[in-house]
Amino acid sequence: MLQKFLIGIDRFSMAVGHAFAWCILILTLGTSYEVFMRYVLNNPTSWAFDMSYILYGGLFIMSGAYALSRNAHVRGDVLFRLLRPRAQAAIELVLYFIFFYPGVTALIIAGYGYAHDSFGYREVSVNSPVGVPIWQLKALIPLAGTMLFIQGIAQVIRCILCLQTGHWPSQLHDVEELESMLQHEHEAQAAEKGGQ
Amino acid sequence: MTNPQLALLMLGSFIFIILAGFPIAFTLMAMGVMFGYYAYYVPGQDFFDSRVFYLLSQNTFSIMNNDVLTAVPLFLFMGYMIERSNILDRLFHSLQVALRAIPGAMAVAALVTCALFATATGIVGAVVTLMGLLAFPAMLKAGYDQKLSSGVICAGGTLGILIPPSIMLIVYGATSAVSVVRLYAAALVPGFLLAGLYVAYVIVLTTIKPKLAPKLPREQTDIPWSKVAVMLFQAFVPLAVLILSVLGAILFGLATPSEAAAIGALGAMVLAMAYRAFTWGRLKEAVFLTARTSAMVCWLFVGSWTFSSIFSYLGGEGLIKDFVLGLNLNTLTFLLLSQLIIFLLGWPLEWSEIIIIFVPIFLPLLPHFNVDPMFFGILVALNLQTSFLTPPMAMSAYYLKGIAPKHVLLWTIFKGCFPFLAMVFVTMFLVYVFPQIVFWLPNLFYGN
Repeated sequence: MLQKFLIGIDRFSMAVGHAFAWCILILTLGTSYEVFMRYVLNNPTSWAFDMSYILYGGLFIMSGAYALSRNAHVRGDVLFRLLRPRAQAAIELVLYFIFFYPGVTALIIAGYGYAHDSFGYREVSVNSPVGVPIWQLKALIPLAGTMLFIQGIAQVIRCILCLQTGHWPSQLHDVEELESMLQHEHEAQAAEKGGQ
Repeated sequence: MTNPQLALLMLGSFIFIILAGFPIAFTLMAMGVMFGYYAYYVPGQDFFDSRVFYLLSQNTFSIMNNDVLTAVPLFLFMGYMIERSNILDRLFHSLQVALRAIPGAMAVAALVTCALFATATGIVGAVVTLMGLLAFPAMLKAGYDQKLSSGVICAGGTLGILIPPSIMLIVYGATSAVSVVRLYAAALVPGFLLAGLYVAYVIVLTTIKPKLAPKLPREQTDIPWSKVAVMLFQAFVPLAVLILSVLGAILFGLATPSEAAAIGALGAMVLAMAYRAFTWGRLKEAVFLTARTSAMVCWLFVGSWTFSSIFSYLGGEGLIKDFVLGLNLNTLTFLLLSQLIIFLLGWPLEWSEIIIIFVPIFLPLLPHFNVDPMFFGILVALNLQTSFLTPPMAMSAYYLKGIAPKHVLLWTIFKGCFPFLAMVFVTMFLVYVFPQIVFWLPNLFYGN
């Protein structure tokens, strides 16, 4: 039941992260189109520059919770790695309350005010006369903060579960980096050979 | 507590806390907010009116609309796409037969393959792992020395973060406000110099001690030159053209780094299609991994900029400056000290953390020692090669160990990396003694 709830949160973060991940494809094609228009047809677009950072900004900010759920944020974990799961969970649980929630909560509060002001006068970009709206990009800041806050709840519960049971509860998996995928395959093959 | 004391406490506790293993982006953000709230505290003010909140959203947004960092996800996407395009084995085999006449042919081919592939993808782990599965067993089977074989793969794969178009230099550009275009031009000669030294070392070593790299049996390499040309044309030429057009577009000012990266990513997709490796599943993998890695790099920036804006508001920068200037260093000792610190930080930390968090501490000091930030960046980029190759935390060696046959010991891989490590230091020394290695190309292209 609890496990289902945790995986549900992972799935939510992942779905949002995956959805915003496709920005990269639009960014690639859109920017290539702009280059084509400028050099081949000598007719640059007026929106390409604003489009590029809006897609890039949306892409990374909304993938923050997804990256957290897949443990992709860098850590200085030279020592941390060597600890037993229970010790890791104890440290992490404390640090979530000291170093995660204050910052993320501030991001939600600050981002809300910031986006609210921007929405108030329907802020547009000053980079081109077309007036590409950018208040929606600012509105992503409190949203991204909220997503992190929710994913953080799942991580905190996982710490508590790990304190009780002594091993880390499972998380949702999707794609792995190529090197870790190949390492797993290699280990599995080696284990198979060893078993024979 | 006075403000500079507070700044000192902030930096001191951060260095300690970083080792506790919590995701660094959030640690930085929270510390920035907490110290910032205290620093900007005005008695009687409403909690939510604190200036720190405005600073936090301002810093976050300035990362979101940063036109330099836009290139990061695009180059990542290009790299993940090339990684999945089935090009690597063709590339290695074609180079191996093309280079058969020279001593240590397989090792040189592995080195060149690693360097080229790493340059195109910019992802060290994948290159070392893929080559560890492909070239490493082939070299061992041919009777190549274990140390030599592991050294070329680890060192060659690591070159990808140095030789342009590299993501590391974009990140350095975003931190230091040096133009990425100039950085790319500046890194080109040192990058090729280092790669050239690697190749020269392998050729000299295998000429002196031919038994480290036995020649392949004739029937395996007896392929007519016309066929070799076709193989090279199918594997080597497309990738080289892709890299050169991306780099050329940037260096000749035809496109911004982000635009060139977008073209490169498009080219990578076309390449994958040409090799019949473009599937829906692989595209999804590349897209999702791009999002995750971009989030990692860019959230680190969000945290770091928040932290450092509070740190300098508290006068931390001035404090460090006074301290370092009080040491009476000259340019040489300052460079030695700063590079030594970065070298040591490379043990526990990754390049992204070092460039985004620690390099900004040195940047304000550079004018006092007459060091050009572009020159400093190239030294850092060279130096960070070592963080992948120096035991005990040599990431490249661990990637290789993870997939190498059981009988290859980690210590053997470390020992294989040492000569290449020495080559990195030689290159840094040459760059210091002959700064023209760095300045020649950017000055030629863009003047002073």
